[in-house]
Amino acid sequence: MNQIWRRRIAYGSNATLVSVMIIGVLVLVYLLADSQRVRWDLSADALNTLQQDTEAKLRVLDDEQVPVRITAFTYQRGKDDTVLRDRAVRDLLVELDLRSEVLEYRIVDFDRERLTAEKLGVTDYGTVVVQRGEDRIDLRDRDMFRRNPRSADLPFDFLGEGALSRSFAQLLAPTRRVAYVLQGHGEPSPTDRGATGLSELVTALDLERYEVAPLDLLRTDREGRGPVVPEDAAFVVVAGLRSGLTPQEDDALLAYLSGGGSVLLALEAGQAAPSFLPRLGLLQLEGVAMDTVLVFPFRDRPVPVYRDHAITQALRQSQKISVLAAPAPLRATEPLPEGVRHSPLLVGGRESWIERGGPSEGGGAAYQAELDAPGPTLMAVAVDLLPGGELVRRTRPPAKVLVVGDAEWLTNGLLLEGPGNRDLAVAAAQWLAGDEARLSATVGRPTAQRRLALTGQETERIRLISLLLLPGLVALIGLFTWWGRRGR
Amino acid sequence: MTIAWAIFKKELRTFFVSPLAYVFLGVFLLLAGFFFSMGVSLTGEASLRIMLANLSISLLFLLPLLTMRHFADERRSGTFELLMTAPVPLWAMLLGKWFASLALCVILLLGTLLFPGILAYYGDPDWGVILTGYLGLLLACSAFVSAGLFSSSLTDEPVAAGLIGVVLLLPFWVAGSISEMVDTDGLRSALRHLSLLAQIEPFNRGVIDSAAVAWFLLVTFGFLFLTWRSIESRRWR
Repeated sequence: MNQIWRRRIAYGSNATLVSVMIIGVLVLVYLLADSQRVRWDLSADALNTLQQDTEAKLRVLDDEQVPVRITAFTYQRGKDDTVLRDRAVRDLLVELDLRSEVLEYRIVDFDRERLTAEKLGVTDYGTVVVQRGEDRIDLRDRDMFRRNPRSADLPFDFLGEGALSRSFAQLLAPTRRVAYVLQGHGEPSPTDRGATGLSELVTALDLERYEVAPLDLLRTDREGRGPVVPEDAAFVVVAGLRSGLTPQEDDALLAYLSGGGSVLLALEAGQAAPSFLPRLGLLQLEGVAMDTVLVFPFRDRPVPVYRDHAITQALRQSQKISVLAAPAPLRATEPLPEGVRHSPLLVGGRESWIERGGPSEGGGAAYQAELDAPGPTLMAVAVDLLPGGELVRRTRPPAKVLVVGDAEWLTNGLLLEGPGNRDLAVAAAQWLAGDEARLSATVGRPTAQRRLALTGQETERIRLISLLLLPGLVALIGLFTWWGRRGR
Repeated sequence: MTIAWAIFKKELRTFFVSPLAYVFLGVFLLLAGFFFSMGVSLTGEASLRIMLANLSISLLFLLPLLTMRHFADERRSGTFELLMTAPVPLWAMLLGKWFASLALCVILLLGTLLFPGILAYYGDPDWGVILTGYLGLLLACSAFVSAGLFSSSLTDEPVAAGLIGVVLLLPFWVAGSISEMVDTDGLRSALRHLSLLAQIEPFNRGVIDSAAVAWFLLVTFGFLFLTWRSIESRRWR
């Protein structure tokens, strides 16, 4: 008896040991396969293949070895497209996670895990929180998805990869940079939360790691030196002047530009423009740019056509419109001053014109050939000031000025009303600050679903075929088999 | 190999003369049809993703019931001793039974080809995604069948074998859901590696992932190895 048990124990121990070893080897083989994984994307649109730009940013994140944590909150249950939206976000996070060593993600059910939402201060369904060290970027539904206007069958495009890629770029930006807003001439204030204030612009720029600070160029310092633009300025905003700049301020801004600085110059129709505007090769024309077709929603709120430029690239791609309010028309001088290069950015449509008063038509302005000037109107120009030209010293980097015929598009009242205004402001800031790499990151490849355009009757037919045809056929074959084998 | 082939044919024949086969096929196709129509009405997508994901979970419960009789029934009816004393290599017996069950899975999956046909009729499905989806499901079937064979080798009672099979596979299903609730990064990552849904998910998106393929093949091999050890132990127990 003892011998039998000894044999059993010996064989049993041996079998257990070998089994454990084999399972250990299998686990090791899997870990090896996991570390050396190869993926073949057979989907027709290569939906699961990340863009090179995203992969490059993930590599930089990996190199810096600072953990990135993404918390994605689910969409509201029971709503249209909730399943698709949640799935699109999850699929993207899985792909990003596979390609990065430092990235960790978590999907949080917004309804079930309110505590996590509260802890992160998240109040909206579908918010994606990207954290890296102390820095954090929140992506909202409008950043991740875009309604698809082309087809009712394809309800939205997924822009998540571009949005997350942009957030990585923002997190990788080494320091916060300062955007100075000129004050003292009745301009809109960065601290004003009202419709005419700039607080929404400050928030938008803050998310892009730009700090906004007021700039006073009227006061001299203790030593009596004229004021200068601070050295840490990423760019200066001169928006909505109600009075002209003093010669001292003109000089300070020109000195800043001559050193390779950047200025966002947002004018107002009927208000004074800085005296150095002609030196940029531009004139502010009398009147207001109007349109009858491309408007949102009134004729004095034209929707400009985007011209090809780094600033408008993402907006053109995502088909987001921007809205200006009674913009001042601009015109380039001929010839342009030496060292000045223009890139028209926003122009009016074919039905636009320059309104200079006269009788109205049905309560709205109308084109009067004898009084008004025909379009298309020029509403914004990106100006590059090359070194060695009239304005920039030969040894300095090129300066940049973005001249827009309107300042109201930057204010709280219009920044969120125009679907593309916020993006336009952010893209302008990035171009002025020389963050072109971040500009390219805003361009995401939209991905749409392959949908079935079914009527209610067709859906019902599919349900009947799916539920009855095949199981019924199998039941029939089963019955025949049983009948044939009866009595055997 | 001839012996394995003979066992393969015998297992398939036994299956198709039993009414259980048709009940099993009918239930499977009913579930497939339900998931397909649910997917279509829920998302309106020309895709089998919802159907294939749900079928993989359903098969986790169904396939151990299909494989439960393989060894348990043989032992109960007394043919197991006959097999063990006959000049039949253990691996041939194992492979014959495993291939037979896998062939049944292929027949089950072939039955669902009507659904891509419906999608093609009404829309423009992504055939690459459908192909990889079926490949993933087949790999999952292979793992489930081998787990079912292992559970069948553990007991004389087919029903108990079926239940053990489900219990064996259950952790692979729930690991994914638990990972969503875990806060610790390392543990969450480990649970995701264990999760069947996480492994099959790339296939449902149109991706063939070498690590996921390895996962299914290794789980298959692991359970087949354990089955082999379990049957072999009968010789010295």
